Amino acid sequence: MSAQRHEMHLLTGSYALDALPDAERAAFRKHLAQCAPCADEVRGLRETAARLAMATAIESPTEMRARVLAAAPLTRQLPPPGRVPLALAGQRGGRAARSRLSRPSQAGIAAILALAAAVVFLLITQVTTRQELRQSQSASQAIAAVLAAPDARIEMMPATVGGSVTAVLSVREHEAVVTTAGLPAPAGSRSYQLWVMSPTGARSAGLLPASHAGSTSPVLAVAVEPGDRLGITVEPAGGTAQPTTTPVVVMPVPVVE
Amino acid sequence: MVRFESPGVNTPSTTPRQPGPARAEQTRAEHSGRDLESLLIRVARGDHAAFEAVYDRLTGPVYGLVRKVLRDPAQSEEIAQEVLLEVWRTASRFDAARGSAAAWVMTIAHRRAVDRVRSETSSARRELKVLPGPVSGDDVAELVETALDRQRVRRCLGTLTPLQAESIKLAYYGGYTYPQVAELLGVALGTVKTRIRDGLIRMRDCMEVTW
Repeated sequence: MSAQRHEMHLLTGSYALDALPDAERAAFRKHLAQCAPCADEVRGLRETAARLAMATAIESPTEMRARVLAAAPLTRQLPPPGRVPLALAGQRGGRAARSRLSRPSQAGIAAILALAAAVVFLLITQVTTRQELRQSQSASQAIAAVLAAPDARIEMMPATVGGSVTAVLSVREHEAVVTTAGLPAPAGSRSYQLWVMSPTGARSAGLLPASHAGSTSPVLAVAVEPGDRLGITVEPAGGTAQPTTTPVVVMPVPVVE
Repeated sequence: MVRFESPGVNTPSTTPRQPGPARAEQTRAEHSGRDLESLLIRVARGDHAAFEAVYDRLTGPVYGLVRKVLRDPAQSEEIAQEVLLEVWRTASRFDAARGSAAAWVMTIAHRRAVDRVRSETSSARRELKVLPGPVSGDDVAELVETALDRQRVRRCLGTLTPLQAESIKLAYYGGYTYPQVAELLGVALGTVKTRIRDGLIRMRDCMEVTW
């Protein structure tokens, strides 16, 4: 028994370096909970490992900075552990709908980073004419404004044809930015068209650009009101005035605040 | 309730911006040591400026560590940005009573890198690229920047026995499990376990880690 405990204690170092195979790691974590000296030692050894980490510092890619800082405001933060009183949870009740949308899973984080990357890409893309530059800049600025809106929230939905659609919505700005990932290319010369659908009818928000590496760059939908829905349909080249096919995705714009 | 009404406060840097060497220098001087802890506490409250400062201070080591383990620049960038965003997302879980902010972040970074290495698909990819040679003895020295940290680490690694130093480097920088380290070095499992622990304890004392 004590020999076994001793054996366990020897694992502090490997644990602090993430060098335990999964099964042993799980067993050691259980042991840690009951072994205060082990926990103390692990703490010190983790600090030591952190020094080893600090010594590896190299310059990180510059584009990473813009992406991460753009993604942060779109990423809901975890509440403090265990000390969230019910009252506070109630206070947030008004935004229950939002929390479902904006609490990112691992996949959510990846999607947000992809979206941020698309925006940054758009902002730095080389354009050839002055006219294009102006257009691209104003589109980028509008998109950046939605992403930066204090009430921006992200919603993701699978499309019926496969792939997924991600929208960043700002009720305050009345705007939404829509990107897609993994949607199959529409047959022939057809393309995807984005619609803002309200009780009074559907209004085109433009065609989705051809996808790059499975993703489409962001498209801005304006004058979006709570209760509207965003829809995407497959339409003939150049688009149509009204949707003519069943949407591959219909995304409600939540009514909050 | 904290709200960010002023766009000036909350505007994320979607435009590429110059990090600015002078500014980075200042940030480093201002936020050395304990300040990183108070910055993280502000990050937990949704403070973007604080997150920016944390980013600037830790992006180098996070990217460096992940890159050291994964080697592949594209994968490293992907993981590093996930780690930094994870810092934003989970800042409220940081507990200053249980360790330093740097250790908290570096633990997340190392764990993520190691998870990637050990997931099946990438391990196949990685073995192709990396296995030809274990981490060389010069690896720590080859990296430039944060010269003081590096110097101290190098000096302290130098006080270990070669087997201790090699085991620690393979485990931490190489992302190997201790049985893999044992196999690579051709020594018994029990030996590696004790060498890693003894070596780390010696490193801790040598670097005067106070936790």
